[in-house]
Amino acid sequence: MKHLLSLFGVLLTALTLQAQTVDEIITDYYNAIGGANWDKVSSITMKANVEQGGMKIPVEVVRMRDGRTYTQITVMGNTMTMQAFDGTTSWTTNFMSMEAEKSTSDETENAKRSAGDFPDALLQYKQLGYTPTLMGTETVDGTSCYKIKLEKKTQLVEGKETANIEYLFIDQENKVPLMMEAEIMEGEMKGKIGQTKFSDYQEVEGVYLPFSNVSGIKGEGTQTIQFESIVINATIDETKFNFPKK
Amino acid sequence: MRFFWLSALTIMWAHFSWAQNTSLNAGDFFGDLKARHIGPALMSGRIADVELHPNNSNVVLIGAAGGGVWKSQDGGIRFTSIFDQYCQSIGCVSIDPNDPDNTYWVGTGETWTRNSVSAGDGIYKTTDGGKNWTNMGLPKSDRIASIQINPKNSNEVFVAVLGALWGPSDERGVYKTSDGGKTWSNVLSVNNTTGCSELVMDPTQPNVLYAAFWEFRRSAYSFNSGGLNSALYKSTDGGNTWKKLENGLPKGKKGRIAVAIAPSNAQILYAVIEAEKKEEKGLYRSDDGGNSWTFLNGDFALTVRPFYFSRITVHPSDPNIIAKAGLFGSISRDGGKTFENLGSMHSDIHDIVFDKAQPNKMLVATDGGLYLSLNGGSSLEIVENLPLSQFYHVSIDNRNPYYVFGGLQDNNSWFGPSSSPGGVEARDWELVGQGDGFRVYPHPTNPKIVYSEMQGAEAIWRFDVEKQQLKTVKPYALEGEPKLRFNWNASLTTSKHQPDRLYVGSQYVHISNDRGDTWTKISPDLTTNDPNKQQQEGSGGLSADNSGAENHCTIFSIAESPLSDQILWIGTDDGNVQLTKDGGKTWENLSHNFPGLPANTWCYHLEASVHGKEIAYAVFDGHAKNDYTPYVYKTSDFGKTWKSIVTPEITTFVRNIQEDFVNQDLLYLGAENGLYISLNGGKNWSAFTNNFPKVAVHYLELHPTKHALIAATHGRGIIILDDVRPLRGIKEELLTKNLSFFDTDVFTLPEKSTFGGTASENQFVGDNPSGNAKISYFLPKRHTFGKMTGEITDLEGKLVSKVEVGKNKGINTVEWGFNALAPKTAKGKGFSIAPAPYVKAGKYKVKITKGNEVFEQMIEVRYDSTSSFTATDRIKQQECTKELFGMVEDLAYLVYQIDEWDAKAQAFKAKNGKPNKTVDALIKELTALRNILVVTTGDNYVGAAEDQLREKINEIYGTIVGYFGAPSESELANVKGLKNQLISAQKTFNVLKDGKIKEFSSILTKSTSVAVPEILSKEAFLQK
Repeated sequence: MKHLLSLFGVLLTALTLQAQTVDEIITDYYNAIGGANWDKVSSITMKANVEQGGMKIPVEVVRMRDGRTYTQITVMGNTMTMQAFDGTTSWTTNFMSMEAEKSTSDETENAKRSAGDFPDALLQYKQLGYTPTLMGTETVDGTSCYKIKLEKKTQLVEGKETANIEYLFIDQENKVPLMMEAEIMEGEMKGKIGQTKFSDYQEVEGVYLPFSNVSGIKGEGTQTIQFESIVINATIDETKFNFPKK
Repeated sequence: MRFFWLSALTIMWAHFSWAQNTSLNAGDFFGDLKARHIGPALMSGRIADVELHPNNSNVVLIGAAGGGVWKSQDGGIRFTSIFDQYCQSIGCVSIDPNDPDNTYWVGTGETWTRNSVSAGDGIYKTTDGGKNWTNMGLPKSDRIASIQINPKNSNEVFVAVLGALWGPSDERGVYKTSDGGKTWSNVLSVNNTTGCSELVMDPTQPNVLYAAFWEFRRSAYSFNSGGLNSALYKSTDGGNTWKKLENGLPKGKKGRIAVAIAPSNAQILYAVIEAEKKEEKGLYRSDDGGNSWTFLNGDFALTVRPFYFSRITVHPSDPNIIAKAGLFGSISRDGGKTFENLGSMHSDIHDIVFDKAQPNKMLVATDGGLYLSLNGGSSLEIVENLPLSQFYHVSIDNRNPYYVFGGLQDNNSWFGPSSSPGGVEARDWELVGQGDGFRVYPHPTNPKIVYSEMQGAEAIWRFDVEKQQLKTVKPYALEGEPKLRFNWNASLTTSKHQPDRLYVGSQYVHISNDRGDTWTKISPDLTTNDPNKQQQEGSGGLSADNSGAENHCTIFSIAESPLSDQILWIGTDDGNVQLTKDGGKTWENLSHNFPGLPANTWCYHLEASVHGKEIAYAVFDGHAKNDYTPYVYKTSDFGKTWKSIVTPEITTFVRNIQEDFVNQDLLYLGAENGLYISLNGGKNWSAFTNNFPKVAVHYLELHPTKHALIAATHGRGIIILDDVRPLRGIKEELLTKNLSFFDTDVFTLPEKSTFGGTASENQFVGDNPSGNAKISYFLPKRHTFGKMTGEITDLEGKLVSKVEVGKNKGINTVEWGFNALAPKTAKGKGFSIAPAPYVKAGKYKVKITKGNEVFEQMIEVRYDSTSSFTATDRIKQQECTKELFGMVEDLAYLVYQIDEWDAKAQAFKAKNGKPNKTVDALIKELTALRNILVVTTGDNYVGAAEDQLREKINEIYGTIVGYFGAPSESELANVKGLKNQLISAQKTFNVLKDGKIKEFSSILTKSTSVAVPEILSKEAFLQK
């Protein structure tokens, strides 16, 4: 009987699932990752040790609510900024000269436009003026997900205003995103689909974050980053965002 | 109320019983099991249609005959596949002129109706540039020749439905939608044998349309093009009414008609007509919108094989320049009066487009890929990254890496490696046959001898690859015997028992025990020998087409039992299945024992089982009789009874089955729409779609020792599933456990190094299989919440390496590159890499931590038994590695201490303000010492500083670690010298420590501004 009742439960759930609107899915997602606790979050500091052929490379990623961000890695004791945005300038480090260099104007402009996507563009879509559309359900590696198309503000690609679209795949059962897809808009990979898969959601001060991100090109190789710690509202050296004065 | 509960319970109970009876559904558990494509692309494959963006000709779409839709955004340099999840047989692609960046339409089902053509399943539309597609209906259209979109109204679309090739069909003609594809109406139809083969719209007046109708039919043994119903029609009212165009056009029977409008003057039309009379076949021109026509030209290039080449293209700005698809492709610059061939490229041209923005730029679709020309077709260059090869068959050998062998539609016979340094690239493939290639086999014990064939066994070759010696070895009819009938794709196979044996099937089974030099017939005619199906010289209709493609009443499949060479299962294209158990002395016709199988259905494949002499599988393909039903059977009693193992999950016809060699319930099925897998002997099937497009699979092969499933696809080359062993291990009980490891082999440590490949930037390179140790496990559901990490440890549990773990539902794989942890290197300017050493052979554990649970699996690593290194070599290498590893870390610790004291000294100096002799001297000496230990200036490129001790130690360390043999004397001498330098530096530092550092330390003890540094122990430093 217990079996039967749980089965009945499953059937009911199946019926409810069908009726979900995109807003309900987003609300479920919001609640699943901590809901209003996110209001208290002003920054996220994530640390990982990436193993590259047995070599440990510490990685530190900081995201601020105001859109500033940096990713630092430490290779053989040398810490360098892989990518940063200080609110005005998006920049990287040249691995040959080890000097900071500005990213393209497009990249800086696009960083400015997505500065409000904290903690996640989908949750703030109304304030940001983005448009989510429920496209149906799709299976991600055996798990049934809602597929949501999120049309953000346009982005600059080779200087031209271009649609900026992400696809989010939200686990029907657990209500959290399992995958994000977006077309690669520039370079040799243009036209291919970039994918990031999320797992290892864990609680940090009342909010849930995916501690594991696997990214790559659809159908091709992937790179995993497994965060060992994520700290909310940590003390941050704000100079690290800034493009160094030469 | 009680009634309600009772009925609810009944429904639930029914549901529950059903759930219990349903066995494992493979598709739920494929997890990260992913297919790998090796192409090749050097000969690419047939392309049916090309389309350019109207305002940005950098955007190119191609519809491949069997390989889906590809998009380029750089004018044709690089292409990306955008239609993998849908039918890969493409008739046409169209770009909506109102929304050309986003809205495309695809009509599935190729319309160049050769014998090997695949079928379509309707019309598709994307509104986001190809990221997402929706099927917009016309499910029975079978093949779509053209899609015309009103340039003023995206919702109004006209579609030319050619319809079924192999039988009658009511879904033919011109279809129109006025609501963007939601609903369709048939606005012009003729009858159930005549379809719309071309449709064009006047670009200036969208209500004006021209539609070509074609009466045609193909069967397994004949082809007919032409009839009284073929005609050219015109509508001037958006398809409501149509008028037949006849003035100046040939009377009587007509065949296929090509028609095109000059974009620069829509009154000028060209039509190429397959007519009844030879002198009326050819090119016609109208200058008055089709009201009257003038015959211009009946050259070979215009009239050749209309069923295969019926596309004519008019230049965007010059109405007198026209290009005609054909055997070589041709172009006229005088309005069609005369033509010349296009430049050298692969023959069999299907479509030609001109770039509006650069009128001398052309793109040409051929049987051998896409070509670009920048000079109006005089010279052309092939696009090298379209892996569209159309294999008919694949076989494999036992080398390491193993090679794959196969023949391609109009693209010869080949073999190539399953992996190669840097990936499988064009230069890796070797040519071993001409013409259309089909079945290619290596000699079972000498893979340098390769057998191949061309169409209709016009030749069967034995090729010595090493000596480059070629001998034709086909069997001939003996004096007084009937003519031998060979299928277009003639059956040829080697023996699992007699290495020098070859089998070839005509209507008889021929056997050779000396590699094809002498042949013996071991059977009577095993076919139905129906004379009505042997009239190929009359095939073709209005244009004779006796290419051998319609040869019939032939043996198609020969399966020798892997358990006895006396047992042969023979399948014929006219529906017979014959068995001998005595090497051909007696034969039994089993064709009446298949329940539900229509008579004379083509036996496409027989699989003699490794699990028992009496077990076999049979696959029948009825599509050449317009029957798309899948037919797959199994016998366990030498064919007396056969049981269908088809389920509704298989949605179209099937060509091949492969049984698993270990798990009898595991089956792989090659279907017209991709690969299916069953875990329970065919009780249910799942489409395998992880990087496996919905492409026609013509043949499957399973590697007996590498456990790889190799698929010959007819449009996407060779696709490989590298390791099927996890599929063998999926059982019901795994569903109840949180994580279960699958059994693993002993892993062999790879000892090869490579400089990589040589492919240029835009050439296709097939993926290599992973060279890592792969440890697979099963998760009953996806891991989403909580931490999940992986490690390799030694047997005592000490960390050897960290590894990434998969978290998917079903099969997951941990990959480990056999590496331990890398040494910690000294901090200095720039990078100087000291790589991780490889582990020694031995036993290790994989440890997966999932939340609070820990799962462990023992694994074993061994050295390559074929390696040239001895045990003593390895010990020497390992000892030297260990010593250098220690030196790298000793140096790192030394530099750390120097840096710490230097930092404090610099801080003290800064705070103190006035010079301090001890501190200044200390700084000077620390700096001097550091300068000989690590690079402290320069960059990572040509501004690099002179190497110091760190760079030198790391260099020799990297050299020793990367080679598996003993270090050379000169390497050992180098290590010794560097070790002495390191010891000397340590001594220098120890002198400082006992002197100036001690003094500085006592200064700091008294200082309030700067604290004494807390120098970590070496152990703690290395852990940091």
